[in-house]
Amino acid sequence: MSATLDMLLTTQSGTERAAAPPDTPVEAVLVRAVLEGDREGFGQLYGLYAPLVHGILLARVPRAEVDDLVQDIFLHAYKKLHTLREAAAFGPWIAMIARNRAVDFHRRSKETVEINDELRGSDTHDSKAAEILELIRSLPEAYRETLVLRLVEGMTGPEIAERTGLTAASVRVNLHRGMKLLRERLGFMEGL
Amino acid sequence: MNDDYLWDKSGEPDPQVQELEEILGSLRYQPKPFEIPRDVPVSTRRKYFPLLAIAATLLVALLVAGVWFRMRTSNNSQPQQARVPEAPPAEKVVVPVEHEQTPEPEKNNLVINRKHRSRPSAVVLAKREREEREEALAAKEQLMVALRLASEKLNLAHRRAQGFPANQIKNQHRVG
Repeated sequence: MSATLDMLLTTQSGTERAAAPPDTPVEAVLVRAVLEGDREGFGQLYGLYAPLVHGILLARVPRAEVDDLVQDIFLHAYKKLHTLREAAAFGPWIAMIARNRAVDFHRRSKETVEINDELRGSDTHDSKAAEILELIRSLPEAYRETLVLRLVEGMTGPEIAERTGLTAASVRVNLHRGMKLLRERLGFMEGL
Repeated sequence: MNDDYLWDKSGEPDPQVQELEEILGSLRYQPKPFEIPRDVPVSTRRKYFPLLAIAATLLVALLVAGVWFRMRTSNNSQPQQARVPEAPPAEKVVVPVEHEQTPEPEKNNLVINRKHRSRPSAVVLAKREREEREEALAAKEQLMVALRLASEKLNLAHRRAQGFPANQIKNQHRVG
């Protein structure tokens, strides 16, 4: 997640990207490269943003569906990349695609997959994780996404703000309030 | 409570947050290669956008021209009687006297055509009226002279018929 423009310029296909000004965001350089026909560039975008999309989906859809949906979302993004007006806004754009896809998923399917999740969690550690994730999912939407990105995906607050397009202040508030709510609910759980 | 650790992992670690990170870390995204299928075309910028814009502009221009032509032809083919009430009353005053006695369709044509002309100003109208009055007065003078001459000739002929001398003029009256 800590890719920089310098790092990208050392890659094999970075010859064309070297013309970009030094202040240009990495995403903008990569998006432009992909639009010029560079498939590898999209692989790098995937590497940068897959954890974000994974976290957004994990806060909304069953775990068993998340990986497939991540692939679908990036494939969709690849096909529709030319519709992205501002190349630097790739993060907020794909985050919105992921949220919309999660809504579509709930419209089309029933909650039968949730049973598979519970059956899969035979390991104690894993089942505890699933239980806490369920608690996070029961929080208001604004808090659950931020908490999953912070506690599950390991992103910091500034990273969440940068990649989702939210302001740092709102991310900080969401983290603070969400964590407070989660602590209250975790108080009823044993062994934590 | 200090939220710095929760915010950017700086400062003194919060044990509860750390424990949650450890437990939930098992659900973290596991990197997987992303394969773009061969049959999926590379997303490129639309290069035919300018062509589309030109085509759209031409289409709009054609539509406008069509509407304009249709309106124009319908104006010409509509019954002229329907247009008469729309003519402003002031326009009818402007119509010259000789045209008022023309047959009705011609008069209507004049009114319709005058609708599209620019209205003459008041100064032009006054000037035109003054010129017409002067012409009428001149015509009247000429008519009076002709009548006087005719009257003189009739008197002369009458006297000659009665045997009076040609230079003796009696009971002469002025005409006009």
